[in-house]
This record gives sequence, structure tokens and C-alpha cells, in this order.
Amino acid sequence: MRKTLGLLFLFSFLAASLVGFSAYCQEDISFVGDSAFTERMRPSVPFLHDDHNEMANIEDCNECHHVWEDGKKLEWDSSEDKECSECHLSQESGDSDMDLIKAYHNMCKECHIGQKAGPVQCSECHIK
Amino acid sequence: MHDLYAFVSGPLVWVAFIIFFGGSIYRLVSMAILAKKKDGVVFEYFNFKYALRSIFHWIIPFASTNWRLHPWMTIVTFAFHIGLIFTPVFLFAHIILIKESWDISWWAMPDGLADILTLVVIASCVFFFVRRQVLPEVKYLTSTSDYVILVLVALPFITGFWTYHQWPESTFMGILHILSGEVMLAVIPFTKLSHMLFFPITRGYMGSEFGGVRQAKDW
Repeated sequence: MRKTLGLLFLFSFLAASLVGFSAYCQEDISFVGDSAFTERMRPSVPFLHDDHNEMANIEDCNECHHVWEDGKKLEWDSSEDKECSECHLSQESGDSDMDLIKAYHNMCKECHIGQKAGPVQCSECHIK
Repeated sequence: MHDLYAFVSGPLVWVAFIIFFGGSIYRLVSMAILAKKKDGVVFEYFNFKYALRSIFHWIIPFASTNWRLHPWMTIVTFAFHIGLIFTPVFLFAHIILIKESWDISWWAMPDGLADILTLVVIASCVFFFVRRQVLPEVKYLTSTSDYVILVLVALPFITGFWTYHQWPESTFMGILHILSGEVMLAVIPFTKLSHMLFFPITRGYMGSEFGGVRQAKDW
């Protein structure tokens, strides 16, 4: 009886610590997100903004948060105060490069392939 | 891994499609030239009405006597071919890649359906594999290449299922998925998989001969 009780305690402790641990992890993880994505076809992409930029040696915000005008990227302008979808919605411009999903895919994949670092395949980002 | 991914998802896709289309045209043209030289009656007796009538009866399950004689084979082979063609063409993950490359897209099937069709294709390959070993009349006609073809056809589906469900080593499986799909596409014109190209012609000619010469059904 004492043995069973001891085991029961051990199990509940393990279970509780697992729940506690994963809750702690959840807080740490952030995801790529845009309010324009209402119906998701794939799981959201985990993305730790500061860790990523530290690892990738990115210092300029407009490396990603760019502003384009007349086919040119503006060197001194950036758009971190905006959601990507504010510009990137193809219905408005008719330019497929402005498609929101394509913009995200290209922004991540092209850089990762160029730098030979980071995820490039579907299953590497859209983790279940 | 990045260079490998860029290579298999870039230049190698073009190579595979060029071999597939170029090889298909080459096989069809060279077969036509050979037939003209050695078997001129094929052109003499080819008849579109009888050809289409025969093809029509053979592409519908149980519409030919032979389909009815082998009900299991009929069910499996139709399910297999439907999954084999529809799954890659109407897969959401494929369509998004095509859309982002060429700005064209079309209807995508739900992922759940793609999963079911993929499992049907894999299970069918197992069925064909066992059939080649168990039925004496099929075993007699089987060579090693027939088993190799079955593996080549099953591989893109196994690896695709694997990487979609993110089982271990899914990054490696993803690359193997692209690569095996390209290999399968490239070998179509040069193996028994070329029945994809020749089926309408061989079936069509049988229909023509049976309809026009023997005045009998060939289904």
C-alpha cells in the first residue's frame, strides 16, 4: 500500500512538473503572425524574434521590415510599426510578389538558402 | 543540406520535366516510325470510333469482361491510378509551391483526402508486389525491373506521407521525396511506366482491329 501510494505521488509529481514545464516553455515561444491570417491551412511558425536576429547577425530592422517604393527598397526606411498585410495583400496591387503568404515564404526561404542556415522545407517551419 | 535542397527543388525539377516530356515525345515518335516501317497495317486500320469505344470500356471499372473476371485487381488498380495522378496534382503543398513559382494555381484537395489517397497508393503497391509473387501467370512475366518500378512509384508517396506527418528525419525525407518524384517522372518514358503514353494507342489499335476487321468487341 505504501509502495503504491509512493508511486502515485511520484507520478503526480512528474505529471505536474511536465505541465508546469510546458506552460513555462509556451510563454517563451512566440509565433510568426498576422491578423490577416484568419483561416490557417498550416500550423503557425514558431519564431523567437530576438534570438533569431542575434543568431543571424541582423541589426537593421529593415532587413525584414522593409519599405519599397517604385520597385526599389528604401535604404533608410523601415516598417516595423506595421503589419505585413498592410502592404502585402495581392488583391490590391495585382502583383503576386505582394501576396502575403508568398511574401513570408520568400522572406524566410530565400534568405535561409542564401545564408545556408535556417529552415527551408514545409515541415521545418510549420511544426505540428 | 541547403545546397542539396536548392539543387533538387531547382535545376533538377527542370531536368526531370525535360526528360519526361522530351523522352515521351521521343518514344512516341520513334514508335510511330518503327510501326510505319515494320507494321504498316496499324496506320491502315486505325479507326477513331472503334479506338475510343474500346478505350471507353477499359477506363471504366467493370465495364470490360476482363475487369469483371478480376474484381480485386480492378478495384485496386483503379483506386491506385486515381490516387497516383490526383494526389500530386491537387495537393495543397504542391500547389502553393507552383503558385509561388509561376503564379498559377488551381483547386486543392483537403489534406485528409490526400492522406487517404496516399495510403491507398502505398497499399496498392504492396498488393501489386504480392500479386507478382503469388499468381503463377503473373510471376512468369515478372522481371526484377517490375519490382524496381513498384518501389520507384511507392517512394514519393511514402516519403511525402513521412515528411507531411513530420516523423523523425523529415528534412531528409523531404529531400528524398522531391528526388524520388523526379526519378519517377524521368523514368516514365523509358520503362513499363510508359503505358501512360502508349495505353491509348495500344488499346485504340486493338479496338480498331476488333471493331473494323473482326467486327467483335474487345472488352
